[in-house]
Amino acid sequence: MAKEMIAMLLAGGQGSRLYALTQKLAKPAVPFGGKYRIIDFPLSNCVNSGIDTVGILTQYQPMVLNEYIGNGQPWDLDRLHGGVHVLPPYQKASGSDWYKGTANAIYQNIPFIERYNPQYVIILSGDQICKQDYSDFLRFHKEKGAEFSVAVMEVPWDEASRFGLMVTDENDKITEFQEKPKNPKSNLASMGIYIFNWDILKKYLVEDEADPESENDFGNNIIPNLLRDGRNMYAYHFNGYWKDVGTISSLWEANMEVLDPEHSGINLFDENWKIYSRNSGMTGHRIKKGAVVENSMITDGCVVSGTVKHSILFAGVQVEPGAVVEDAVVMGGTVIKAGAVVQHCIVAENVVIGENAVVGAMPTEDEKGVATIGSDVYIGDNAKIGPNAMVSNNVKGGEEQW
Amino acid sequence: MVNSNVEALGIIFPNSHDSLVPELVGERLMASIPFAGRYRMIDFVLSSMVNSGIGNVSIVVRKNYHSLMDHLGSGREWDLTRKNGGLNIFPPYAEKSIKVYNGRIEALVTVLDFLRSQKEKYVVMSDADIAGNFDFRAMIEAHRKSGADITAAYTQEELPAAAMAAREESQDLYYTFTVNDDGRITGMEINSKESGLTNFGLNIYVVEREFLIQQISYAYTHGYVNFERDILLRQLDKLNVQGFRYDGYIAQITGLKGYFDENMRLLDDENLNALFSPSPIYTKIRDDNPTRYITGAKVENIMAADGCVIEGEVENSVLFRGVKVAKGAKVKNCVLMQDTVIEAGANVEYLVTDKNVVITEGKEVKGTDTFPVYVAKYQVI
Repeated sequence: MAKEMIAMLLAGGQGSRLYALTQKLAKPAVPFGGKYRIIDFPLSNCVNSGIDTVGILTQYQPMVLNEYIGNGQPWDLDRLHGGVHVLPPYQKASGSDWYKGTANAIYQNIPFIERYNPQYVIILSGDQICKQDYSDFLRFHKEKGAEFSVAVMEVPWDEASRFGLMVTDENDKITEFQEKPKNPKSNLASMGIYIFNWDILKKYLVEDEADPESENDFGNNIIPNLLRDGRNMYAYHFNGYWKDVGTISSLWEANMEVLDPEHSGINLFDENWKIYSRNSGMTGHRIKKGAVVENSMITDGCVVSGTVKHSILFAGVQVEPGAVVEDAVVMGGTVIKAGAVVQHCIVAENVVIGENAVVGAMPTEDEKGVATIGSDVYIGDNAKIGPNAMVSNNVKGGEEQW
Repeated sequence: MVNSNVEALGIIFPNSHDSLVPELVGERLMASIPFAGRYRMIDFVLSSMVNSGIGNVSIVVRKNYHSLMDHLGSGREWDLTRKNGGLNIFPPYAEKSIKVYNGRIEALVTVLDFLRSQKEKYVVMSDADIAGNFDFRAMIEAHRKSGADITAAYTQEELPAAAMAAREESQDLYYTFTVNDDGRITGMEINSKESGLTNFGLNIYVVEREFLIQQISYAYTHGYVNFERDILLRQLDKLNVQGFRYDGYIAQITGLKGYFDENMRLLDDENLNALFSPSPIYTKIRDDNPTRYITGAKVENIMAADGCVIEGEVENSVLFRGVKVAKGAKVKNCVLMQDTVIEAGANVEYLVTDKNVVITEGKEVKGTDTFPVYVAKYQVI
């Protein structure tokens, strides 16, 4: 049974710029927005767009991700034919290879794609916060008679040189591709989301694999090769919220934007485009006597006795009396003990912040750092963690780390 | 079978005690009454069974069971989507001579053939009016050890007079036991008016499957209806009926006021933790976003599920999934079920709102401590 379009989700990246947050898990598994992980966004987009077959390419620290995806049921991707499949590199009769690049990861899974005999394949990336209707993207691809389409965002001209840019004609046909150019000719940045006609993609993957000089990368090799051959390539304009959460500051910022859906554009309260996630199974959260909660998102299992302002608490977070949490992203199971002050920072899962400890600081003119505490870390009583600290080991009581 | 299996199947009677809460069961049954913010009453006994190693559960429904079917689905959330056993829902059997059943005996007659074809040695039977974190494994073990014919769970408690009067009024039966030093139930009273500490029957029983089939077949041919009155009480001297005292936390729905109180009791951490431990309670997932507190919100001593948006003041209340409290609204001592909307400037106290109720702008609705006001599903005030 053929599928019109299946999705291949690149989730193998280490996300090394997230340092302490990705020591034990891959970037797509990083928690986001109170009860989600980053990968919930592309997966939910797939389901909401009618895509029922998704291959997830994993490589770096896949255990958390594997367990989280499970049989795909939370996303309605436990299907008789298709559904979600985690695809790590594997040993073949003639040796085995890690995924050498994004294109090689897809190349190694050509047999998986062929099982579904799709007309189109959409390539997604597992490190973006975005609600996007891929069926509208496919409609565009078909209307243009494209062989390859890429989703693009308009970015401010002065930032354009940080992106891979698509230069297009008046019909959105791509005429040139510039990877992080000094002198940008366009401000249409690639979102790293592509639709290919499968026969074209397969041809170029095989060709690319045969080229010993190639980095086996979509941006550096496949797209330039398509351009060289004058293929029908189009740029699909996306105007909604989109955020690459590859850095601590962008991850923190994206979380804060969730608190302000009226202005930021990322609305998790959309009945027509739900973001699905695996449920914590905890009871409703508790706000105790004496607690102060302002402009925050709080989910199941939390117990708040202290003050929480402009923050996001994930499942099962405890904020003890007298503790202050402000401008903070606090991930699941973390305990903030009495009197601790946690500000302008990201605290990962199952961390203990000791009594009267100080983590991070509200930003000032010249200091805007987002302090980051890795998962399972113990911060002792009265310890002090500076606003630029990146903590992945326990900090003893009274000690300071900057 | 490995050690996780207790060789028992479960049977739940979701309509029992419906008559106690006519308001809440207008379009549902006891088992699907929303409770504790994000659960339904049946979640507790069902999760307890699953957590005790019972993977074969039958639910013998009587009427108003749409909401329950919707809630349970295929049983996946309780890990009961199984090839062998799993979740079975038995609606009334129209073509048999049995009308919609009255007592537990008639209910069991409708599943006799099913019971005969099963392999489990024991049967655990329960209603769904009591929320608890039951260890049925311990109860089955006690049953096995004592060699009893029937083991009945009870709590030792003082019967609240008001709740008992309500039961009397709605013709709901309750049972109290006399238990001797060996744990054997030697006496049993129906709707006892005695005050003081009593052994209050929880309507939870463990019995061998073969023995149950035999008892039900006999009772049915003799026109008996009520399991406790017609099987237990009649044969107390003949059968070895053992009591199993349950000391864990329970929340029991005995009326609207009781429903309100039981929700409120969970605002005390000790009670909440007692009900939700040691084992998890599962429920249907709704995929709500986390609850959002907007600037201007003032909250104190509440329990709230996901999906709420709170901009007003909320105090001493239980908020179910998707409740909205607009700016300037005041909510005090309330139980607000799923998707209730309290519009701007509204002021509510001692209110129990059913699903999708709207209290419009500026309205004031107040019950009292002893008489919470109930607003039915979809009503707009």
